[in-house]
Amino acid sequence: MRRLMETIGTLFKAKLAFRLALLYLSVLVLLVVALPWLPLPFLPNELDLSKVFAPPFHWEHYAANRPFHWLGTDALGRDVLVNIVYGARTALMISLPVMLLATGLGLFMGSSAGLFGNHKLRISNARLLLLLPSLVAMAYYTLYVPFQLALLKADMSAYILPTILAFAIPGVLLFIGAPMLMRWDSLKKTTPFPFDHIVLRLIETLTSIPKLIFILVLAAFAPPSLLLLSALLVLTFWTGPARLARGEMLRIKELPYFEAAISSGVTQWQLIWRHAMPNLLAPVAVSFVFGLAALLMIESTLSFLNIGVSTELVSWGRMISGIRANTAAWWLVAFPGAFLSLTVLALQTCSYYLLQASQEKR
Amino acid sequence: MGPYLLKRLLLVIPALWLIASLVFLLSKLMPGTYGSQQLQQSDAGYYSKGDPESREKAFRQYLRKTGQDLPLFYFSVTSLPEPDTLHLIYPETERLFLKRMAWLYGDWTLVSAFYSSLQQLEGSLTATERKSIQPHMHALYQHTRSEQLSSAVDSIASTLAASTDPLRRLQASTHTLLDTREEYAYVLPDFRWHGPDNQYHHWMRHLFEGELGTSYRDGRPVVALLVEAIGNTWWLMFISMGLATLISLELAMLMVRRHGRIWRRSVLPALFFLDSIPLFVLAMLLLVLLASPAFLQLFPVYGMGYYTEVSLSWLQAMNQWLLFMALPMVCLVLANLPYLTNQFYHALAGTASQDYTRTARAKGLSESGVIRRHMLRNALLPIITLLSDFLPALVAGAVIIETIFAIPGIGRLLIDSVMARDYPVMVGIVVLVALFKLLAHLLSDLLYALADPRIRHTAA
Repeated sequence: MRRLMETIGTLFKAKLAFRLALLYLSVLVLLVVALPWLPLPFLPNELDLSKVFAPPFHWEHYAANRPFHWLGTDALGRDVLVNIVYGARTALMISLPVMLLATGLGLFMGSSAGLFGNHKLRISNARLLLLLPSLVAMAYYTLYVPFQLALLKADMSAYILPTILAFAIPGVLLFIGAPMLMRWDSLKKTTPFPFDHIVLRLIETLTSIPKLIFILVLAAFAPPSLLLLSALLVLTFWTGPARLARGEMLRIKELPYFEAAISSGVTQWQLIWRHAMPNLLAPVAVSFVFGLAALLMIESTLSFLNIGVSTELVSWGRMISGIRANTAAWWLVAFPGAFLSLTVLALQTCSYYLLQASQEKR
Repeated sequence: MGPYLLKRLLLVIPALWLIASLVFLLSKLMPGTYGSQQLQQSDAGYYSKGDPESREKAFRQYLRKTGQDLPLFYFSVTSLPEPDTLHLIYPETERLFLKRMAWLYGDWTLVSAFYSSLQQLEGSLTATERKSIQPHMHALYQHTRSEQLSSAVDSIASTLAASTDPLRRLQASTHTLLDTREEYAYVLPDFRWHGPDNQYHHWMRHLFEGELGTSYRDGRPVVALLVEAIGNTWWLMFISMGLATLISLELAMLMVRRHGRIWRRSVLPALFFLDSIPLFVLAMLLLVLLASPAFLQLFPVYGMGYYTEVSLSWLQAMNQWLLFMALPMVCLVLANLPYLTNQFYHALAGTASQDYTRTARAKGLSESGVIRRHMLRNALLPIITLLSDFLPALVAGAVIIETIFAIPGIGRLLIDSVMARDYPVMVGIVVLVALFKLLAHLLSDLLYALADPRIRHTAA
């Protein structure tokens, strides 16, 4: 982590473009954080049907102490400037947590796949036998039951018991049931668990059709909700960091210092956290920033197409889609489009320089 | 070569099967079928079937006709109190209410007894009485806690004043329901085995026979819809791909020249900037600038212009088609240019330091001769890989472009069917796209052999 910070520091001093991009991003984040205290004259979904498609900088309507639509309005008289600012908040609030989760998941899957390969992870037959029922129980109590309860609008108290069971049943099966089964010799034997193989096949399946189409198709089944959309995005975006982490892990595994750590008898956990993670961090940071940019694009595309998100969600994509009603209203595409592109550009600039820095070090 | 291709095929098929199954199963698990929505709509129309019984019958008929009354998969794991005939109950609100009751109280027989007594009571009421207990009925249908149920029934009883037979029966069934309530029965799973007579099995069988079912929206076979739509998408993608490849190759060759510094300096940053503009923003911008009466009206805005004239000579038709397709193609080319040029440039630059390049230069070949005859051929392999990986990604771009420019192609079909939850069409498109990716891989393997004689000879 410290080294990553140092890299960012040196880049900040040396490269003008990197400095500009980082400054722009921090201003954007600050703006989003300070949003509740900003003196904005309108709400993002506030309609003003008397001023429909008002062009930007329309000075005839300007009066000193009346709210003024600086950047114009859309088909329902919603203020463009306010929507841009709130749209930035939506974009960040979706893409940041989603990318964090996806990177975490990808890092875990990819680095363990790289470290364990197909042979290193050995599981006793007893555990292997009980793994399937535990997974089924887990899926039942963490996916099926809560989803049905949400559908039936059940009370919050109804969720408690399933949540307990979701962890209790696999725990009991794997940590109490399995040792009891190990009395038999055939169940005590261990077999290698092909973790690498499974992760690779999973990634291959998820990437076998383009992300956008995958998300579009899956989003069609669910009612438009932010939570479900985020889950879908995590599901499709973890493959990038996972691939990267796996490749890096395969490289690190062969380095002398890592072999020294293995031969000095360090536990697996420490191997990953103390020895592999610091080296993994730089490339993963690159893919994180790059993924953020991709997420911003996908999120705005989805809200532009109005699929998977409700029409009340304030976003850049929604505003741009307003131009389809009136192609003369150029400000509806110019301003939000410019902000969207600038943000993506800033993120890509950051990831470009980070990538360069991490490649130079090697 | 043959065994290698076969292996590749065998690896792709499981992924294809998994994706298609996932889409199919998810589409079925989600609440709200297309059929019930349609029945609801026809309720309001002229041919509305008045009473609920005939409506339920129509719904069941619809389910039987489309095979949706069968179990979904070979087995099912549901919550114990939930009956397996629940999906046959027609108005969806009713079904949800019964399901909630079953989950809350844990015993289906008691719940159905309660429900039938409730229906009897409702049937025995006069219009004014029904109106007077309306709010309590609403509370009863919406309740999520057992206390709310008893209070709702109590207030119904007090509002109705005169104690009739159905009312007494309702009160009695409510009491037994509340007394024998098993609050957490829903955490118990119920495992049922259905055998091969299920929706998934039939769907898979049809899929292997090459039949993708019929669209929910207009009842036409999915294959026919796909065939109809694929032409436009194919030409849009094919031409823009070809153009993008040509332009980016030329740009890359300009940049890789020894005196190409000025090109490197100007083209790379410009492409970097272009890359950060999302495709839909780019398309909308071009649309506003070049196809709107407010600015320059160089191109027609939407659609394909099929309806304009009665008969055209093929030259005219071609001309019109190009006019309508020009802007979409420009969008796709511009959107794909940065990535392609970058990769081509790096592939070419990698060969610049090789011995054979130096030799070619040393023997006095012209700069373009060195690049085109010696460097390009050696850089072809990564370029082919790139192009084949890139083809499926182009489909995603086509989805956006076709939606914006209203081109009747696969992408537009996808968006329309997503909007209408027309799952057979969606599954068909997913299978098609995955197949397309498979074909792209196979094509790249063939091109490898063409580009590199070493591969051709070792494989043969």
